[in-house]
Amino acid sequence: MTSQEQVARLLAMVPYLRANPGVGVATAAEAFGITRKQLVADLNVLWMCGLPGGLPDDLIEIDMDAATGEGIIHLSNADYLSRPMRFTADEAVSLLVALQAVAEMTTGPSRAAARSAAEKLSQVTGQQDLIWLSVSTGDDRVRETLAAAIAGHQRVRLTYDGAARGRTTYPEVDPAEIQMRDSIAYLQAWSLERQDWRTYRLDRIVDVVLLEQRGEDHGAAPELPDGWFDNSDGEVTVDLVAEASWVVDYYPARGVVRNPDGSTSVRFAVAEPAWLDALLLRLGDQVLTVTPTGAGEAAAAAARETIERTEILFGAS
Amino acid sequence: MAARKTERLVNLTILLLSSRRYVPRAKIRETVEAYRDLSDENFNRTFERDKDDLRAMGIPVETGSNERFFDDEPGYRIVRTDFELPPCEFTGEEAMVLGLAATVWQQASVADQTRQALAKLRAAGVDPDPSRLRALAPRLSVREAAFDPLREAMIERQTVRFTYKGGQQRTVQPWRLVLRNSNSYLLAFDCDRQAPRIFKLSRIAGAVSRFGPPDSFVPPDNEALGDYAEQLSIKSDFDVVLAIRSERAPALRRRGELEHSPIELPSGFEAYRVRLNQNNAVAEIASYGPDVIVLEPAELRAAVLAHLRGVLAVHGEARELSETGEQR
Repeated sequence: MTSQEQVARLLAMVPYLRANPGVGVATAAEAFGITRKQLVADLNVLWMCGLPGGLPDDLIEIDMDAATGEGIIHLSNADYLSRPMRFTADEAVSLLVALQAVAEMTTGPSRAAARSAAEKLSQVTGQQDLIWLSVSTGDDRVRETLAAAIAGHQRVRLTYDGAARGRTTYPEVDPAEIQMRDSIAYLQAWSLERQDWRTYRLDRIVDVVLLEQRGEDHGAAPELPDGWFDNSDGEVTVDLVAEASWVVDYYPARGVVRNPDGSTSVRFAVAEPAWLDALLLRLGDQVLTVTPTGAGEAAAAAARETIERTEILFGAS
Repeated sequence: MAARKTERLVNLTILLLSSRRYVPRAKIRETVEAYRDLSDENFNRTFERDKDDLRAMGIPVETGSNERFFDDEPGYRIVRTDFELPPCEFTGEEAMVLGLAATVWQQASVADQTRQALAKLRAAGVDPDPSRLRALAPRLSVREAAFDPLREAMIERQTVRFTYKGGQQRTVQPWRLVLRNSNSYLLAFDCDRQAPRIFKLSRIAGAVSRFGPPDSFVPPDNEALGDYAEQLSIKSDFDVVLAIRSERAPALRRRGELEHSPIELPSGFEAYRVRLNQNNAVAEIASYGPDVIVLEPAELRAAVLAHLRGVLAVHGEARELSETGEQR
C-alpha cells in the first residue's frame, strides 16, 4: 500500500465515519475493502491528524478504546472534512463501465436505475463512458422470465441453441444465477437430465417456459471460471497456415507455438467431438495437419456427405 | 515511516483546505508539525514532493499570492468547491445498482478504482446495498496487458505507441476502448495513416508507451465515434438462400426467414433466406457440414464445395469411405 492510497482512503473515511456515527469496525472495513487490522491502523493515523496547531483540541478525536474494545467507531472534531473528495477520472470511468454491465444484465426498474445512476455520476464527475461495453445478453424477455423463475424457485424448460453440437435442445433446469463473464452473459442452472450444474449462454436461449414444478435447492451455483472454459480431457493439436493464425483469438487454445516456417501449432481442448468437426470444416485447407491422426476423419466424412448431397440436388459440378 | 508520511499529507491537506487565503510556505512549515524540525533544504524537498503527491491524487493544490501587487512568497490553498464531491442524491434503487456495479471488475487495477469510488459515495451518505440483486453476478476482466496503459492514456488524452500484429509500429490517439464478445478493441486515430482505425488488444505485442503531454487531442463526439465503430465492424450484407435441416444450425436459422424453396428438398430440410457477411459466408456455412446446403447463389455453392474439397484434401485422403467417421 502506498501513502497516496492510504491518504485517499483516510480523506474518504473521515466523512464516512461522520455520516455513520457508531459504525462497527467490521462494517467500515468491508466498506473500504480492507482488513479490520488495517482499519484500526488507519484510525491510529487519523487520530494524529487534524487542524494543525499542536493543541489537543485541534486533532480529530476518535474513541480508540471503543474501536479496539467493542469494535465501534466514534469520530468527532473533524468538521473541515465533511464531504469526500471528487472522483478521479479513472474512478469515474471504471464505475461507469460497471454500471453499463449492470444495465445490460438487468431489465425494468433496475436497468432504468443503472442508467440514471450513470447519468448522475457523469454530471457530478464530468466524465463520460470512455469504455464501451456490449454484452451478449440475449433477449430481454428471456432474462426477465429467468430472473422471475430464480426469485420464485421455479423449474423451467429452455429452448437452447447449443453451439457445441450445432442443434437445438430443450433441457429442463432449475435456474440459479445469471452471471456475466467478459461481455457474455450465462445462466448457471441445475440440469435435471445431467444431474449436474450446466452453463448456458443467454444469447442462445431462445425461449423459457415456466414449469409447474418448483425447483429444488442445489446449493450455491458455481462461479464461472476465469478465461476459457476448459474442463475437458480430449485434446488435439492443429497446425495452421500463417493466414489462419487469427484462430487463436477466437477459440479456446491451450497452447500456441509459432513455427519457424510461419505456420502455427495450436493445442485445443475438445469437450465435444462435434465442435472439432465444425472447426475443421470451417478452416478447410488452412489446416496443415491434425494430431492425433484420424481426428479429422469425421470432418472429412461430413465434407464428403455435404458434397454428395449438393450434387444430388444440383448435379455434379 | 509510511504512517508518518500519511499523517503529514493529511495534515497538509486539512491546513490548505481550511484556509480561504493562500498559506505562505513559512506558515506551512511552522504549522505542520512534521515539517518543523527539517532543515531548509530537507523541508523544500519534502514539501515539493508532498505537493506532487497530493496533485497526483487529484487534490487541486493551487499556487498564488494574496497580495496582487506585491511580489511576496507564493502561498498555497485548496479551494473547497474544487476538492469536494458536489452534492448528489441517489434513489434507493440507484444505490442498489451502484452496489452491484462495485463488484463487477475482477482485475485489481480497475477493481480498486471502483472500490474507492464507492467509498466516496458511502462517505457522501449513499448506502449501496446490492443484496436484492443476488441472482445477478456480472463479472468483467480484461486479460490483455495493453488494457491498463491504454485506459490510462485514453483518460489522460495522451498519444501512445505500440507494436501491432508482430511488427508494425503504430502511433495512435486512443479514443475509446470497446469490450465485445470476450474481445477488447481500441478505437483510435492512427497518426501515421491519418484515419480512424480499430485495433484488437490481443494483437498488441509488448509495451504500450505513452508520449507527449496529456490533453494532446480531442476525440470526436460520441455520435461520430459510434459511426466509426459501426463502419469498422463486421457487416452482414450478403443475401443467401440455404437449405437447413430442422433443429440444426440454429445460429443460421434464427437469423434467417423461412422461404419457399426453388427446388424440392430432402425430407427434414427447409429453405431460409439468411443475411451473412460476404467474407465469412463460405467458412461459416461449411462449418455445419451436411446440415446446410447452399441453394442460392450458385457462385457461393461452388465456393462452399471447393472449400469442402479442401477439407477432404487435408483429412480425407487416407480413407475412401465415410464409415469411419460415423463410428465416432
